[in-house]
Amino acid sequence: MGDNKLLALDNIDLSINEGDFVSIMGSSGSGKSTLMNIIGCLDVPSSGEYHFRDNNVSTLNSNKLAELRNKDIGFVFQNFNLLPRLNAQENVVLPLLYSGKNLKERNQLAIEALESVGLKDRVHHRPNQLSGGQQQRVSIARAIAGSPKLILADEPTGALDSKTGLEIMKILNDLNAKGITIVLVTHEDDIANYGSRIIKMKDGKILEDKKNVNN
Amino acid sequence: MSITDLIYLSQKSLRSNILRSILTSLGIIIGVSSVITMISIGSGARIEVEQQIERFGSNNLIVRSQSSSNRGVSMGANSVNTLTLKDMEALKEELPAIKAIAPRVSLSTQIVANGNNWLATVTGTTNDYFDLGNWKFENGRSFEEEELASGSRVAIIGKTVQKNLFDTDSPIDEVIRINKVPFTVIGLLDAKGGTTWADLDDTVIVPLKTAKQRLVAKKFPGDQIRSMTINVRSSDLLFKTEKDVDTVMRKLHKISANGNPDFVIRNYAQFLNARQESSRVMSILLATVAGISLIVGGIGIMNIMLVTVTERTKEIGVCMSVGAKKRDILLQFLIESLMISLIGGLIGIALGLGVIFGVSEYFKWKMSLDYMSIVLSFVFSSSIGIIFGFYPARKAANLNPIDALRYE
Repeated sequence: MGDNKLLALDNIDLSINEGDFVSIMGSSGSGKSTLMNIIGCLDVPSSGEYHFRDNNVSTLNSNKLAELRNKDIGFVFQNFNLLPRLNAQENVVLPLLYSGKNLKERNQLAIEALESVGLKDRVHHRPNQLSGGQQQRVSIARAIAGSPKLILADEPTGALDSKTGLEIMKILNDLNAKGITIVLVTHEDDIANYGSRIIKMKDGKILEDKKNVNN
Repeated sequence: MSITDLIYLSQKSLRSNILRSILTSLGIIIGVSSVITMISIGSGARIEVEQQIERFGSNNLIVRSQSSSNRGVSMGANSVNTLTLKDMEALKEELPAIKAIAPRVSLSTQIVANGNNWLATVTGTTNDYFDLGNWKFENGRSFEEEELASGSRVAIIGKTVQKNLFDTDSPIDEVIRINKVPFTVIGLLDAKGGTTWADLDDTVIVPLKTAKQRLVAKKFPGDQIRSMTINVRSSDLLFKTEKDVDTVMRKLHKISANGNPDFVIRNYAQFLNARQESSRVMSILLATVAGISLIVGGIGIMNIMLVTVTERTKEIGVCMSVGAKKRDILLQFLIESLMISLIGGLIGIALGLGVIFGVSEYFKWKMSLDYMSIVLSFVFSSSIGIIFGFYPARKAANLNPIDALRYE
């Protein structure tokens, strides 16, 4: 309060290489969400710089940020965040709509993405007709439909039972194997263990940043 | 993002709340149907007035005999003929604003021809009658000077009389008997159609002198006549001339300025004005209803769009996270409100058309559908959708993606 500014992130110096699978861990209030928002170009830091590939993100306006998210970044959320009125295919098409791809191309890409997560026979189902695991796979399809460089997964297994959670992790692992960089936010050790690098945060600072020897 | 995609997404969300969308557009529905009805009433009245002028001629005053109700007893309009041809001549002389006067005597009587008979109004008058009353000839001719002067037994008949007496379309040179007096038909008038109170085509016209000598000698003795139609040179002079005619007639009939006159002056323009006035009042009323309901409808749209934006905050966040720009979000919500108002507009147009046809069928009130009113309704409803949808849409577009995503 008063003059004391609350720093969500404090003195973070972090670089993530293309093709990495990074798990970020921390309790609530540790700053992991803020870090993720900045990495995902949803927010810009109040001071300091963030570079994403060739872009100095700190200087971009909201339209440029939207473009960057659209082209290079895919999001997977804990609660899937699918639009309830749209069927699986239409949900996957959504980012392609904003990138201005034509009808034929985007339907093609959406079907391919759904196939790659094993939902070929569910393209016309709406979210409420799908199980949690299936919904999460639709949201992964949505994230990868525009062939992004980076996928940000915020507690992707948080709303799923452990067996389904493992299936989702397997899909993310496969995507990483194809060269897509993955940043995963979680508080579960065994989920974090899928990463090749684990970053632990506390009070807005990086507490620990090490290669994952178990992987 | 193309317009078709935007429309596709908008109709998806409108459909998911179909009842709400329609209820929201209720104000627009009422507003637009009022606009259409209002314009139709206005143009219907205008057309009716034009038709009436076409029928009865413009700038005419009609002076009729009227029994002065001395001692409080009215003798009925037909009982006394107080007008004379002398009055007519005096008026012509005194008032230069008068272009022409057509005198008239009349009776209702049996017409026989061709083995048929028919009850019609027979008018005795001069050739001015045709010009003043906007009568055209379908066949034949008007009276010749010589026929008028000598009182020839020639007649000009209206369409209804022709249809009821003759099988042929051309009754020229046929003979009809009026009150047993034979007349030769020399002309057939163009049909004017009926008014609500009379069939104008149910008429037989003969020279004034002939009528006075052979048909109504007892009813209109001397130079008495039933009425006269006065044609005024221009419409600006109409009301002044009406007053002047009253003054001159009072002088001629020796009636004081506040005494009961034994004549009555009908100004047809008065009736037309009254008709136009009443439709104007109706239009103003409807315009008020339209204005209020369009504004209320607009506020209704704004209200429901604000609710929608709040309900879909999380969705907006999701769209932004997958790459929707501010402009995309703004356009999507604008198109949604535009669609609500256009749906309202369409239903309103349908309702308006229903009202127009219903009213004109049921009340026999002339309404004319003006296609401009449909264009106008579209313009009205779409601008309302855009104007009142803008604030909620901008609110949605200005959401911060992180806050929107976190919204529960």
